[in-house]
Amino acid sequence: MTPAIEVHHLTRRFGTFTAVDDVSFEVGAGEIFGYLGANGAGKSTTIRMLCGLLKPTGGGARVAGFDVGQEPERVKAGIGYMSQKFSLYLDLSVRANLEFFASAYGAHGRELKTRIGEMVERMQLGAVQDEVTGALPGGMQQRVALASAVLHRPRIVFLDEPTAGVDPVQRRSFWELIRDLASRGTTVFVTTHYMDEAENCARIGIMVDGKLVALDTPEGLKRTHAPGRVLEVRGPRLSPALDSLRGMAGVLDVSRFGSGATVRVDPERLSAETLADWLRARGVDPLELEDSAPTLDDVFLALTARAQRGED
Amino acid sequence: MAATRVNRRVGRILAMAGKEVLHIRRDIRTLYLALAMPVLMLVLFGFGISFDVDHLELVVVDQDRTDLSRELVRQVTASQEFVVVQDGTSPDEALGALRRGAATGVFLINKGFAEDVKRGGAQVQLLVDGSDGNTATQALAKAQALVEMAGRNLGGPVRVTAPPLEARVRTLFNPDARSAMFLVPGLAAYLLAIVAVLITALTVAREWERGSMEQLFATPVGRLEIVVGKLLPYLGIGLLQVLLVLTVGAWVFDVPVRGSLLALGLGSFLFLVGMLGQGLLISVVTRNQVVATQVATITSVLPSMLLSGFIFPIENLPPPLKLISTLIPARYFVATLRGVLLRGNGLDVLWPQLVALALFAALVLAVATRRFQRRLD
Repeated sequence: MTPAIEVHHLTRRFGTFTAVDDVSFEVGAGEIFGYLGANGAGKSTTIRMLCGLLKPTGGGARVAGFDVGQEPERVKAGIGYMSQKFSLYLDLSVRANLEFFASAYGAHGRELKTRIGEMVERMQLGAVQDEVTGALPGGMQQRVALASAVLHRPRIVFLDEPTAGVDPVQRRSFWELIRDLASRGTTVFVTTHYMDEAENCARIGIMVDGKLVALDTPEGLKRTHAPGRVLEVRGPRLSPALDSLRGMAGVLDVSRFGSGATVRVDPERLSAETLADWLRARGVDPLELEDSAPTLDDVFLALTARAQRGED
Repeated sequence: MAATRVNRRVGRILAMAGKEVLHIRRDIRTLYLALAMPVLMLVLFGFGISFDVDHLELVVVDQDRTDLSRELVRQVTASQEFVVVQDGTSPDEALGALRRGAATGVFLINKGFAEDVKRGGAQVQLLVDGSDGNTATQALAKAQALVEMAGRNLGGPVRVTAPPLEARVRTLFNPDARSAMFLVPGLAAYLLAIVAVLITALTVAREWERGSMEQLFATPVGRLEIVVGKLLPYLGIGLLQVLLVLTVGAWVFDVPVRGSLLALGLGSFLFLVGMLGQGLLISVVTRNQVVATQVATITSVLPSMLLSGFIFPIENLPPPLKLISTLIPARYFVATLRGVLLRGNGLDVLWPQLVALALFAALVLAVATRRFQRRLD
């Protein structure tokens, strides 16, 4: 089976600035593919090229079987796109938005009604379908936008930061909808900067400064880029102790969060007991120390740190 | 196959147009404003602004002081179009009054006027303050007509064979020289230009600003379909406005429709398409509502008022402005409207105006659609 998305050396320059730099990857049919990166890393530019909205300046991509540079119109007919900037017509009702996008993709008459009815049910929009879209809460609006993007049953759907600014509960239910789409065979290409969300993806590509620096399953990424054991520590006088901890043999990474910190260690060279004694000796007492698993945050931090060191 | 492709295209255009109608319905006050403004402005302009000249202050310098000369003055001032504010002064004093603005004209009857009338050829002088060109022109025309009439009356009893005073002015098509007759066509063009350019520029720029244009570009709706679908409802509103303005013009100001309705309809359609295209071009270039408003005001509202012949006759414009006015579609539309409404013209006379309107519409739409790339780069 041919992949849903094939990207070869895709490059986009704006003047002297290279937004997307020689990126290659493939996404299989029915896969949920996550595209991670900081703001300005080139995520949206990649998506826009894959949707036929922006012409690549180098390399190319085939989406839904068509070349994005040569046949953007055929690409557009086969995909759904939910842009980062909020792009529904906020002054129109939910139903009017759905009707417009359905007919823009060529549905009409009874077919249009069936599809909208189906989508309203799947996205649980029945209660709000006659409301003005702009008056709905953010999470609900995102669902209307997703519904508009997949009404025409595209093989592939591109979601550019679909959950930006949405509360955690709504984000979780939104991801259920995304998983539901994928289970019906739709390929989902989604960008995000919420690392916890990215765990839902089958595979993840990580962009740093326009380059695709890693591509693997979430587990694979953690194994490769955040190896070792992660220990969560809490206690008084933590800051000065953490500063001197950096650079100690066996310590791979130290990052603060909230009142505590996570310390990633190489278990071969540094045991949890040794670390605990060392911290207590520096006044972090009483010390709380817990085992925890590496997260994609650790991966992301490690990769960005490496890229920055590489530039220096 | 070809038929279904056309069907799909029409379907997408109708989807765009339908959505636009919903936007208009959501913001119904704008529509009311768009329809009420022309009527209101027409009434205000029609009643408030009058270029009609009446009660002109005249200084009479009668150096002849005969019955005949006094009779001439009486007849010229009888209709109240001229009012004597000063009498019997010297020519120098009279000119002083003119210079001070105390009078708009000096009526000068030279010594020997009565003798000249009897001999069959007399002259009187009218000195008019030309600083207000419109008033001066009208005063001159009126004075000539009055003096000619008076001359015929005076000449009667003294058996003057030839007309004693040479002046032949007749105003055709708008014999009363009423402002409304002359204003309605210009006002129609002006109002249509405002609404068409401004509203289009705003609504299209809004889609850029809100990001919905990007969403639109991701759908299979083609750029021509976006353009046509988006402009269609505003074309409808524009044509409705034309009807409204003409109806009010006919009812309130007795402005007739004497000529070809086909030329009227065609002219309105072509003018509107050109204006909508101009609004589209502005929004495509600016992609921002605030800038679009300013550009639309400068490029459409002002020229349509100043360079279209609406207020200032094109013949009176200085040559550079006259040249620029040839690029202003409102000029051709005003000419078309005056032709149809006042002169009773048809396509046979007005076709050059319609061709000019069509050229502008085609050009501006072509450029706008070209610039309207469905890519974001």
